[in-house]
Amino acid sequence: MKITLKVQKFDPEKDKKPYYKSYELDMEPMDRVLDALNKAKWDEDGTLTYRKSCAHGVCGSDAMRINGKNALACKVLIKDCGSKITLEPMLGFEVVKDLAVEMKSFFKKFKSVKPYLINQDPPPAKERRQSPKELDKFDDTTKCIMCGACTTSCPTFWADKDYIGPAAIVASHRFLFDSRDDADEERLAMMNDADSVWKCHTVFNCVDACPRNIEITKAIGEVKQKLLYDSF
Amino acid sequence: MYKGGTGQWAYFLHRLSGAAIFLYLLIHIVDTALLGWGPKYFNYMMQLYTHPLFKLGEIGLFAAVLFHALNGLRICIFDFWVGATRYHSQIFWGAMVLFSVIFLPVFYIMIQRVHF
Amino acid sequence: MQGNVAGGRGRPQDKFELRAWFFMRISGVILAVLAIGHLFIMHVFNSIENIDYQFVVERWKTPFWRTYDFVMLVLAMMHGTNGIRVLIGDYVRSPGKKLFALSSLYTLSFIILALGAIILFTFKAVG
Repeated sequence: MKITLKVQKFDPEKDKKPYYKSYELDMEPMDRVLDALNKAKWDEDGTLTYRKSCAHGVCGSDAMRINGKNALACKVLIKDCGSKITLEPMLGFEVVKDLAVEMKSFFKKFKSVKPYLINQDPPPAKERRQSPKELDKFDDTTKCIMCGACTTSCPTFWADKDYIGPAAIVASHRFLFDSRDDADEERLAMMNDADSVWKCHTVFNCVDACPRNIEITKAIGEVKQKLLYDSF
Repeated sequence: MYKGGTGQWAYFLHRLSGAAIFLYLLIHIVDTALLGWGPKYFNYMMQLYTHPLFKLGEIGLFAAVLFHALNGLRICIFDFWVGATRYHSQIFWGAMVLFSVIFLPVFYIMIQRVHF
Repeated sequence: MQGNVAGGRGRPQDKFELRAWFFMRISGVILAVLAIGHLFIMHVFNSIENIDYQFVVERWKTPFWRTYDFVMLVLAMMHGTNGIRVLIGDYVRSPGKKLFALSSLYTLSFIILALGAIILFTFKAVG
């Protein structure tokens, strides 16, 4: 089917402000948006810039706004977009070039929650054992691929760049609710911050944007509940 | 404009209605305080409020408070029963149905009193 | 990032945001009843046409309505002020403007709350 791919282009070294460039392409309905981008770049405009890696929804490199909504370009089917597809970079981060945005501050926030196991006990002879019921508590939040779609879909983040963001809270949740982790107090202290969980206003854009279907607002709510009940 | 879902619009309307109600509240407390100066000034002000523009404003105020209250209760549901977040959109529409059920008869009663 | 994101070791945990968050829910639920009740009484069962000085005199003779209105006043002002505080926190980025905005908010809110409380406590029918 014939499609018009309208892409927001911006080269900070050359352009004063972003502009849109359209490419007329002939795609299959079951192709991905990433396939269209590749076709546009390889056949028509070599300067078109975007990030991609695995091309099948697990690396998180190609998160972008597709027809106004955050998604992974390699997961969205052409037939689900219609014949007019508008591609824009994720909101809230500085545009490096075209569809690639600066992710440094995103990863900094992610690292700040100490997303690694903290357990001071001497390691057991074999593995640290955990029941399926215990795993269930944090299984969902292990799925994050750090694509940034959630954080850049959050109106709180757009307004306040100091907000730690849904991805970082999900990363903290993953360890908070992991029975093998010992650093509850330290993690909760980080979450109990004016720029952390309390800035989540249950907008749900993150849940809609997450390509891994993580129940982000639920996870953030569980952290809030833990803080609330612990305070009594 | 980011193409968000019902959650985004509920959030936006909640903020808008909340801010609007607060601004109204500041004025309302001041005008009620006129009671302290006797019936003359208070009744005069009440007379002013019979103007159709204010009467329409009353209906808007009712809608704003009702929406803010119902969406607020929806938020409380998510906060205290975290599992409900899975159905956030359905709960929003449920709240809107409740809004209509309460607001439509109220609108019907109030609009009759607006004389242009 | 502000606050103690880098770890609250040795620092007493700041519970303000948590308490404010909880207060909004509690006051919100109570206000949902009080405010909607108030609107029904004033705008549906009565109307601007019959609400005058005498109407208020009759209502405020009973301690029930005076208490109702007082609780509603305090909760609404606190709930509303905290809400605007959140908005300012979200949208006012420069520290100077933020200080000015918050100061104005708290001052205005306090004055209005005091005004309302004084009227509720001291009102006595004239004539």
